[in-house]
Amino acid sequence: MGNQMTNRSTTGTTPTSMVMTWLLMLTVMIGSSPAAHAELLIRITEGADSAIPVAVVPFAESGAMPSGDKISSIVRDDLTMSGEFKPLPPEKMLSLPSKGDEVYFRDWRLLGQRYVLVGQLTRTGDKVDARYELYDVNREERILGATASSSVNSTRSLAHHISDKVYEAITGVPGAFSTKLAYVTLQRSGGKALYRLQVSDVDGKRARVRLESDEPILSPAWSPDGKRLAYVSFETGKPAIYIHELSSGNRTRIADFRGLNSAPAWSPDGRSLLLTLSKDGNAEVYKMDIQSRSLKRLTNHWSIDTEPTWDHTGEGFFFTSDRSGGPQIYHKSSESAEPRRITFGSRYNARPRPDNDGKYVYYVHQRDKAFHIARTNLQTEEETILTRTESDESPSVSPNGRMLIYATKQGGDSVLTVIAADGGAAYSLPASEGDVREPAWSPIVN
Amino acid sequence: MNVSAHHKLFAMVLSLGLIAGCSSTGETTEDGAYGSDVSAVDQDGGSTVYGGDDDGGVSSSEMSEEQRREAEARAARAEEAAMREITTFYFDFDTAEIKAEAREVLVAHARFLQANPGQNVRIEGHADERGTKEYNLALGERRANAIERFLIVNGASRGQTETISYGEEKPAVMGSSESAWAQNRRVELVFQ
Amino acid sequence: MRGHERDVTNTGQPPWKSPVALSILLHGLILGVALAGWTWTDPSEDPPPPSISARLITPNEPEPSPVTEPVDEPDRDEERRQEEERKRKEEAERRKAEEEREREEARRIQQEKERKQEQQRQEEAAKREREQQRKAEEAARQKAAAEAKERERQKAEEEKRRQEEAARKAAEEKRRAEEQRRKEEAERKAREERERQEAERKRKERERRLKEQQLEALAEEAQQEREAEERRKREAAAAKAREAQMLSESQKYQALIRERLSQAWYPPSSATEEMTARLQITLLPTGELASVKLVSTSGNTAFDNSALGAVKSLNRYPIPDDRDTFETYFRQFTIEFNPRRLR
Repeated sequence: MGNQMTNRSTTGTTPTSMVMTWLLMLTVMIGSSPAAHAELLIRITEGADSAIPVAVVPFAESGAMPSGDKISSIVRDDLTMSGEFKPLPPEKMLSLPSKGDEVYFRDWRLLGQRYVLVGQLTRTGDKVDARYELYDVNREERILGATASSSVNSTRSLAHHISDKVYEAITGVPGAFSTKLAYVTLQRSGGKALYRLQVSDVDGKRARVRLESDEPILSPAWSPDGKRLAYVSFETGKPAIYIHELSSGNRTRIADFRGLNSAPAWSPDGRSLLLTLSKDGNAEVYKMDIQSRSLKRLTNHWSIDTEPTWDHTGEGFFFTSDRSGGPQIYHKSSESAEPRRITFGSRYNARPRPDNDGKYVYYVHQRDKAFHIARTNLQTEEETILTRTESDESPSVSPNGRMLIYATKQGGDSVLTVIAADGGAAYSLPASEGDVREPAWSPIVN
Repeated sequence: MNVSAHHKLFAMVLSLGLIAGCSSTGETTEDGAYGSDVSAVDQDGGSTVYGGDDDGGVSSSEMSEEQRREAEARAARAEEAAMREITTFYFDFDTAEIKAEAREVLVAHARFLQANPGQNVRIEGHADERGTKEYNLALGERRANAIERFLIVNGASRGQTETISYGEEKPAVMGSSESAWAQNRRVELVFQ
Repeated sequence: MRGHERDVTNTGQPPWKSPVALSILLHGLILGVALAGWTWTDPSEDPPPPSISARLITPNEPEPSPVTEPVDEPDRDEERRQEEERKRKEEAERRKAEEEREREEARRIQQEKERKQEQQRQEEAAKREREQQRKAEEAARQKAAAEAKERERQKAEEEKRRQEEAARKAAEEKRRAEEQRRKEEAERKAREERERQEAERKRKERERRLKEQQLEALAEEAQQEREAEERRKREAAAAKAREAQMLSESQKYQALIRERLSQAWYPPSSATEEMTARLQITLLPTGELASVKLVSTSGNTAFDNSALGAVKSLNRYPIPDDRDTFETYFRQFTIEFNPRRLR
């Protein structure tokens, strides 16, 4: 009984015990806090590997249309070439609407199509007007509706324009179907060789010869405004670099030094070229101001340094060098920086071509005995081989970064092939006679 | 090595003819000897006569020193001439290294150039079709430069040589086989 | 606390003089007083009820009919009593008879008297009808009164007698009853003794049986509890299995839905690994899409539209047959589109 008075209280008056109580309360609170309603969450991290099914319905025509490929057919080919779409053959279509209120989404759902393009062409005099609409079948919404027109002689351009718009509406990336290709063809007969520098539509059509020569023509390169080509020609008996204005046909020989004059590449501002010259002893990279012809040497190594190309910033450049024993891709972030090696995966990596966003660089890559086109992710340094063909050369990226064209052997002849920039289905351009090589993709020019 | 065996035989036949023409005795050539020198003549022993034509009288047992030297020189020249028939030199993939068997031939060329200062030569470098065109252009040039350097080191003067590269653009053999490639990886000397 | 006190005692002072001890003492006193006083203020407690060790006996109603229980031994006292009773009865009957004769005689006398008187009256009536009547009436009244008194007396006597009779009878009956009671009590006692023993025996039986039953009951209870426990476990396991099944069902269908949507989704070329679009889906029990809502945009319209298109392209979502699983997981859920492994 007497203990009552001398008992010390054991709860809550000492500091440590107060802290303990607080902690206890806290953990109890946390432990018993009501769990948020655990609604099911499904994560989709991969999409379909295949191309998007899209229906390009033959456009309704009023008036005489030029003979040759139909506009809808050109659009279908463009979309197929991108590797990202799988157009439905018209014979499989259940109906042929030409405008929105004729579109029954259920029909197209049944056919598994994601998008429907419908349109009308009207000829008035020398002009063709196109009115077209693009529908998302599942959302049952119109995502594009526009008009465009061209002269009756340029309906191919009209078609490519529509392809560009459709591509952009679906992917968010501007289409590159109105761009051009420059390339070289070679025909041999008897002991003689005939080289031709040609410029065509991106599908190889409407090709025009710009230069003909008995001697090799190499490395055509587009100026940023799409109006000029620089290239290497052996017409004088040795390699020299020319700048050729397409509209007029006027040319200037701007590099004819002793030794090599090769691998021209335009700066983004169009005022200078990167070149490979060996006038100082061995192949090195130089920059030449086109106006003044002044030269600046950018590499200095006993190895071969060639195939220079500006990166997307315009400050640095990529090039091929065999300073480590075999050709590898290097990058200099500025004219004075130390070169940084980019490729490591095999003993032969050459001819870098970066895309316009600076995400990837594409190049020729040897694996075992075969030469493929590969690309390296400049962020992650991950390398991916893009082609299954085995004697690949001259990769050139489309200006929207989504397609890649390159030259490869097909039955002894060199042909051009387009693939989606991440690999995938290959689309061969129709082979003209002989060899086709050295493709260069023009920039997008409005 | 096939090529040089053929030329060796030719050289022997020639030297045989030479000896036959002199119709002197006592000179023998060693069998099987190959080299830039004509082997020493064994003076001892009898006279062995090769060939049967009496072309200007068989003198008594010895040839004069001078005649011998002249004979040697002519033999050497002939051999070199034979070697200088070779104007294409081959390379392994992605290298500009001159092969061992090419060296002596090149030396012959060099000596020739040296002896003939008015003679010019164009050195044309090539590569096989594999890989990229521009890199092959530079590779062809490197090969041509390697040959040029060798010639100059061995007697030719810079003014006589000119190099050019065609990269993969002018193959000697069409096709996409190892053999075709091997034959296209080359440097050609074009004497002007 | 004891230690405390001990410590205190080590300080060299005599313990009882130490301040702490004093304080303890004081406090103890106070407490004692408090408690004691406390008890004064206690309300008086009720005296505890006396303990009863008693069995409840239901009082037996005395049987109106004679006891039919066979008497095993001849009881002579009983016979005497019975004879006495007979005698008494006979006497009582004689008395009754006498009384009855007396009564009858009395009645006769009275009747004669009445006749006589009536004759007198009739004789006098002619003359002094009225007075005689009156007188007669008076006399009659007097007589009546006298008769009444007589009657009353007789009644009283009768009453007395009756009462005596009754008392006797009552006494007899009492005696009889008492005898019967005694008898019956004795019998009862005997019976009760027997019954008691019987009951004892039975009780013990019962107790034993009860214990048995209790044990059995316990055993059964334990058994039932075990069964109940097992049942509970089984049910819990079943519920868990059900949950797991629901979950695995749901996972299976999640995987199916994921697969179908993956195949149906065409992420645009401009998609990056940072893009995430979240859509809330509501399904009908048929698996058809009831509604879809973009709850979190990726920031890229083409990407969002590709996700919406994919969701809407499925005519029927694979859903479990079990309605509960469907309602729990698939009635409404969220789909997140976020591309991985872009090369």
